[in-house]
Amino acid sequence: MAAEPKILIVDDELVVIKSAERVLKSEGYVVEGALGGREAILKIEQDSYDLVFTDLKMPEVDGITLIRWIKKSRPSTGIVIITGYPSQDTIKEALELGIIDYVPKPFTPAVLLDVTERAVEWTKGKKVEEEKMTEKFPPAMEAELERVISEYRKKPGSLIPVLQRAQEIVGYLPPMVQKKISKGLNIPIAEVHSVVSFYSFFTMNPRGDHNIRVCLGTACYVRGIEGVLGKIKETLKIDIGETTENRKFSIEGVRCLGACGLAPVMVIDEETYGAMTPRKAMEIISHYDPSVMSAAAAGAEMMDEKGE
Amino acid sequence: MEKFRKNLVLCAGTGCVAGGSMKVRDALREEIKKKGLEKDINLSLAACSGSCSEGPVLSVYPDEVFYQKLTAEDIPKLVEEHFVNERLYEKLIMREPEEKSSIPAMKDIPFFRYQVLRVLRNKGLIDPEKIEEYIARDGYQAAAKALTEMTQEDIIKVVKDSGLRGRGGAGFPTGLKWEFASKVSSDVKYMLCNGDEGDPGAFMDRSVMEADPHSVIEGMIIGAKAIGAHNGYIYVRAEYPLAVKRLQMAIDMATEMGLLGKDILGTGFDFELEIYLGAGAFVCGEETALMRSIEGKRGMPRPRPPFPAQKGLWDKPSVLNNVETLAQIAPIILNGADWYRTLGTEKSAGTKVFALTGAVNNVGLVEVPMGIPLRTIIYDIGAGMRKGRKFKAVQLGGPSGGCIPEGLLDIPVTYEDIVATGAIIGSGGMVVMDDNTCMVGTAKFFLGFTADESCGKCVPCRVGTRILLDILTDITEGKGREEDMATLEDLGRDIIATSLCGLGQTAPNPVLTTLRYFRDEYESHIRHKWCKAGVCRDLTTFWIDEKLCKACGACLRACPSKAIVGEKKVPHKIIQELCVHCRTCYETCKFSSIKILPAGFEGDPYELLGSEAKGEAKGGNE
Repeated sequence: MAAEPKILIVDDELVVIKSAERVLKSEGYVVEGALGGREAILKIEQDSYDLVFTDLKMPEVDGITLIRWIKKSRPSTGIVIITGYPSQDTIKEALELGIIDYVPKPFTPAVLLDVTERAVEWTKGKKVEEEKMTEKFPPAMEAELERVISEYRKKPGSLIPVLQRAQEIVGYLPPMVQKKISKGLNIPIAEVHSVVSFYSFFTMNPRGDHNIRVCLGTACYVRGIEGVLGKIKETLKIDIGETTENRKFSIEGVRCLGACGLAPVMVIDEETYGAMTPRKAMEIISHYDPSVMSAAAAGAEMMDEKGE
Repeated sequence: MEKFRKNLVLCAGTGCVAGGSMKVRDALREEIKKKGLEKDINLSLAACSGSCSEGPVLSVYPDEVFYQKLTAEDIPKLVEEHFVNERLYEKLIMREPEEKSSIPAMKDIPFFRYQVLRVLRNKGLIDPEKIEEYIARDGYQAAAKALTEMTQEDIIKVVKDSGLRGRGGAGFPTGLKWEFASKVSSDVKYMLCNGDEGDPGAFMDRSVMEADPHSVIEGMIIGAKAIGAHNGYIYVRAEYPLAVKRLQMAIDMATEMGLLGKDILGTGFDFELEIYLGAGAFVCGEETALMRSIEGKRGMPRPRPPFPAQKGLWDKPSVLNNVETLAQIAPIILNGADWYRTLGTEKSAGTKVFALTGAVNNVGLVEVPMGIPLRTIIYDIGAGMRKGRKFKAVQLGGPSGGCIPEGLLDIPVTYEDIVATGAIIGSGGMVVMDDNTCMVGTAKFFLGFTADESCGKCVPCRVGTRILLDILTDITEGKGREEDMATLEDLGRDIIATSLCGLGQTAPNPVLTTLRYFRDEYESHIRHKWCKAGVCRDLTTFWIDEKLCKACGACLRACPSKAIVGEKKVPHKIIQELCVHCRTCYETCKFSSIKILPAGFEGDPYELLGSEAKGEAKGGNE
């Protein structure tokens, strides 16, 4: 990797690329430009970049699609979005995809440099401590958290909604997030923690990319969810409430999903799967990660599914 | 409005969507277009018709034909047959499990025939995302009537006279609850709806919120007027994203049309309604705990009195009603108390929705008049046991309820009769169990749930449920002792007597009812180390009856640990040392030749099973 961070600017307007290039090059960054998402993908495929700045609204391949592609094929590349319309929904979607920050359009050189500096720091820090869970969040995530807290600050009984939103943004509720909320809402940290630990919806452990929720309701019990759960646990080598080492999957046991007609039921992310058998569950999970199937096949020697 | 020749209603509830409803919708749209039938056929989406196991389902009006288990691939043929050739598409029509003939019309399907739809009156008929469709079916007329023509006392009188009781579990008279709150004077009062449906096995509230959200809102407006509240919350589980979305849309639309908010329908009455997302705690179904939760605290119950009608949410008078209860309000106001009483019994008036699931052929939501026998629900509506298995018990009321045996299936379903059996109606979860279910294991399952969900405030509940669970675990692992049964009973009674809220007061019910009706199973687990259902791994020996074995090799191939030996025409045998008790062979065998014996059994199996069969025959005559 070159000593100076290498940055790719993606926008459908040449003037944006040119001006960003000028600002960043003057500070010694190595900068290239791509006119649109398609060109960006071609460039990234041939070369590696530390940071990609991308517009969201572009013809053909738009920003969100590009971010999805980068996350899949070049997961270590840091992404910053440049957007003229930072609506809450797009920010939320982009955050879920794991962006570091965003630059509002139009931007001043100072803002651009500021964001770039922070993003470079962030990617460096992340690479060193890839394995360990750092208690730092991308600036955009922090800002969104702040916004949610201040939105609810004056409302009575807002702790639970804020925690729900925070978990949506960060994915889980580590001590640092709880501290931030405690301070922001002026509620003792002990009380915040007591609420987090009381409700099963809240988790203090990071979840995997895909959260497998297994229904532990009566109908599912009667129709054999235990065998399904056992198989999933055995294959992924984790228990309920845990996350696989590669952060791909986590398993969560939930109380009745209210889809008893489909029992036994599991839900992966937002998708509901009914009438599960151990084998079917493995097939579905392997759609999310093909390597699961081989692990499942190794386990099949030990325990085959019931012959229904 | 244009007039269509046919109206198609496709179910878009959680169950059917998981089954591929959206793909079916796209295929239908495309096919209708291809055949040039856009002017003739109107396709609309509706939510949960309650026959989830048959999903995705499609109703065709005015023909009243019911198609089930649709796939996108079937659509071209179905459209061709039904709408072009005007013939029924037999392949996807409901069939009686016992008979070969298909029954296309909805009124002839037993699943629908015994049902009377009041709560679910709009299920599958209206698009829940369009307020106009609700209004077209008399929606908000009751609210208008209550706000313009009726006094608070009038409303309370009608609801009281109707005999409506809370459908959330305890069965407290709704009118009485409203009356208490209306008599307390306070500048601020709250009207609350409990959509924190937590009982495993119950999903009627989800269905109502998804399929007919306006019926809940209308009930709340009427309730708010009756008690004099101007603010309300609907507390919904975060696990029900579709219900939350539909409710929010419904609130927004109602507000836009002046049915919520300030000066509703120009009557000067204000009512603001908000959704509050629950965070997953079973105890929050208890009213005082739910109110604490809305206040943003740990959802722990507090002693009553003061009752919420005096001091509830933020210490203001509050009324909390269940989703199903609220959905009953509008028709009662429109049609009167006497109309409501035409169904049900003196003390349990009207209809109740049950979530029928488990080992029956038809599963789904069923709404029946109170007082109907359990047997009718299971054998007529549910069409009997799946795969012809033997009925063992029906579990009513979730973790707070109990298991009812075959002998009591003819009792009428009313609050009083069910309580007499040791179970409760609860929120209406009805899980049917066959002879593959171990009753000790079932009790253990529920205790595992309540021990986990106990909020920890009261020692008897927090520690007591844990001890019950430990004893049950011991019994299922072969470490049971003779005195355990008495301990379970004593401790269970103590927990009931000394817990503060409904969770602790009902948590021992699953243990106590199974001990009452299935004591022989406990005895067999403890004394003979024998789980006759073959569920508790440590208490079973699988054995092949050579007289019945057809030597087909199915079990041999299925066995994951290669513990079965045999060849063609030679009866198979299980090598006990290799057997991992996974039940696979038992489930595979088509000739019932695999039998379950006690753990480590060494005597003569024929003798043991012979005496068992005799004993059972005798027991049956008692």
